[in-house]
Amino acid sequence: MAATGVGALAVAEGPGRFTTYPGSSAPIAALTLVTGFALAGAGLLVSFTRPGQRVGDLAILAAFVWFAPVWVGWQDGPAQVVSLGMVVAGFTFPLLVHAALTRPDGRLGSTPVRALVVAVYLEAAVAAIVLALVRNPYFDPGCWSNCTVNTFLVRSVPPLARLVEVTDRWFAVGAAAAFATACAWGLVRNSGPARRALAPVVGPAMLLAGAVAAHSIALQQIPVEDPANLAFISIFVAACSAVILLGAGLALAALRMRSQRRAVSRMITSLGEAPPPGSLESALAQALDDPALRIVYWLPGAQRYVSASGGFVEEPAPEPGRAVTTLIHDDRPIAVISHAGTLRGLEREIGPAVRLGLENERLQAEVLAQLDEIRASRARIVETADAERRRLERDLHDGAQQRLLALSFDVRLARAAAEENGDGQAQAVLAEAVGDAQIALAELREIAHGIFPAILAEAGLESALETLADSSPVPVEIHGAAGGRPPAPVEMAAYVLVTEALNDATTRRATRVVVGIARERERLVVTADDDGTTRTSSMIAAADRVGAVGGVLEVQPTKVRADIPCA
Amino acid sequence: MLTREGIVRLLRDAGLEVAAEAEDAEGLLREVRQSRPDVAVVDIRMPPTHTDEGLVAAQSIRAQHPEVGVLVLSQYVEPSYAMRLLEDQPGRVGYLLKERVFDIATVIDALRRIMDGETVIDPTIISRLVRRHRRNDPLTRLTEREREVLGLIAEGLSNRAIAARLFITERTVEAHSTQIFLKLGLSESADWHRRVLAVLTFLRS
Repeated sequence: MAATGVGALAVAEGPGRFTTYPGSSAPIAALTLVTGFALAGAGLLVSFTRPGQRVGDLAILAAFVWFAPVWVGWQDGPAQVVSLGMVVAGFTFPLLVHAALTRPDGRLGSTPVRALVVAVYLEAAVAAIVLALVRNPYFDPGCWSNCTVNTFLVRSVPPLARLVEVTDRWFAVGAAAAFATACAWGLVRNSGPARRALAPVVGPAMLLAGAVAAHSIALQQIPVEDPANLAFISIFVAACSAVILLGAGLALAALRMRSQRRAVSRMITSLGEAPPPGSLESALAQALDDPALRIVYWLPGAQRYVSASGGFVEEPAPEPGRAVTTLIHDDRPIAVISHAGTLRGLEREIGPAVRLGLENERLQAEVLAQLDEIRASRARIVETADAERRRLERDLHDGAQQRLLALSFDVRLARAAAEENGDGQAQAVLAEAVGDAQIALAELREIAHGIFPAILAEAGLESALETLADSSPVPVEIHGAAGGRPPAPVEMAAYVLVTEALNDATTRRATRVVVGIARERERLVVTADDDGTTRTSSMIAAADRVGAVGGVLEVQPTKVRADIPCA
Repeated sequence: MLTREGIVRLLRDAGLEVAAEAEDAEGLLREVRQSRPDVAVVDIRMPPTHTDEGLVAAQSIRAQHPEVGVLVLSQYVEPSYAMRLLEDQPGRVGYLLKERVFDIATVIDALRRIMDGETVIDPTIISRLVRRHRRNDPLTRLTEREREVLGLIAEGLSNRAIAARLFITERTVEAHSTQIFLKLGLSESADWHRRVLAVLTFLRS
């Protein structure tokens, strides 16, 4: 590399002094050298930091070819060197286009981009071959740096050579325009961190495209490419700057990728032993500088995607500027990551530690999703049972109670008839029957109330608790209010809790129970404190009820406290 | 069965005039508006949901026609239902359990008391309230006897009936009720109104 560059410099300073750009002045010579070395250096850096990346090889190759025009200007130099220089010189632009449009994962993006890269290589190859075979520099009116030698010449066809040269220039203008468009499109369709990552490569690339187009148009206007011409010198300086910046941009992108990769592999150790659900997502988002990054997990059982916390989510779809990567393990998907479009090839960046972390979090999400399902099903079971109890309570009132009332009425009529007939014995029996019917009615009412407290559904928790307190053998104090009507299952849970607490306090020989109800934001807090002996019951019925509506029950020796969400 | 027809027959047999019948709350309010009865007898359970439509209708009657008394027949031993009736328009209301209907003397007595502007609460509810043990209860200031008297007032008994029930003189009953009103802070109002307010305190406590 160094030999190529220094040799080129020697050529420029000696035999090619008048025909090459670096020969025109010392600063330009230095710029040419710096440009080539910058490109080579960037290529080496990319190859070292990201082995196996084509971008590094492309940049190194482009650096070699960069010096070709100088070798062409070697007056009286070896014919093979000059001729070869002429053939390869045209490949600088295609190589740079290829390097600039290669994404961090080493692939070219969309089909149009791929087509553009293929087209510039193909055109450069065709032009180089045709010119090598038919162009005799001796007959070229626009020749400058080499007007004598072409070792590969088969047969001189000056019109064809002219045609190819002109076509090549116009093609270069079109290709440069397409290249600039591809770069601009990349910026437009990405946003945020993705755009910031693209800019260092895409910016210089657009400047290069401008320089290439300007060079071709200038050649069309001024047939002889005289390095002393101010227009050509300006374009050359612009092209050099663009290439230096492009090299820097490629190196920067490679370094950034490497630091991201290190951050990804480091992040798993920073998560600790039992990271809460979703911490992998935020850690990965931070490591990759992509706040919008999302991880969802595939549950083969449920055939659904879930978030880390177990909630069902839609399958992530690729959006403009964003990409979706599915991580596969043992032929089945573990996780789907939605991330910035520039992070393509994320799958390869994610090491075994992160994969293990993802697999762990997927299992955790699966358990959480099942837990959600069980919770929902428990709530449904309780609700169904309550609806059934309510129906039974109504049936008792509408059916059995009505019949008992009718029976009671008939017995009264019979008693009145017996009284009229002076049948004292029958009257006594029937009077007892009336009493029995009254007791039966009262018992039926108690049973119906026990099955479902209608007052709870119709008048609310406070009224129902008042009634409950009225029938309690232990004196009860009730404080606070539910603040409106909480959902029916919540009211029922609170009611069941107080019922069980009062019964329990009675068995523990309490002399008073203090019941508290409070609405704390979207939660209903119910407490029952008593002065009885130490509790032995674990309040299973209340715990089940409170748990079924997503609440928490704390059971202490003489206190219980339920915290129930009302949302 | 305890049907509307059954109750109408009972009331007619007892010599009362039944001005109109209705099968739901809407019809009830219409009939009350047209015939302006002394008392409307209302079942707490009415179509469409058979929950507390009767109670709501009773409250509307009391609000729109203060001169019309209301007797609610219920299957629930719930002081809070009886209280809902009393809260907006005290007096001229009754809350009886359904089985009381067959004890026609009780019903007629209740209807008469309601017409007189008093309050009639079912003895089952009263006995539960008297038996209860509540910590934060304003009635704890009352003596055992005073609570008993207040319960009978709530049942709708006159002073004379209370005296007969408790085997004491009517003057003693009057002394007790004065004490009750005093302790509940009801000394300023007219006598019948005080009785109603005392019942309300009794139910609410």
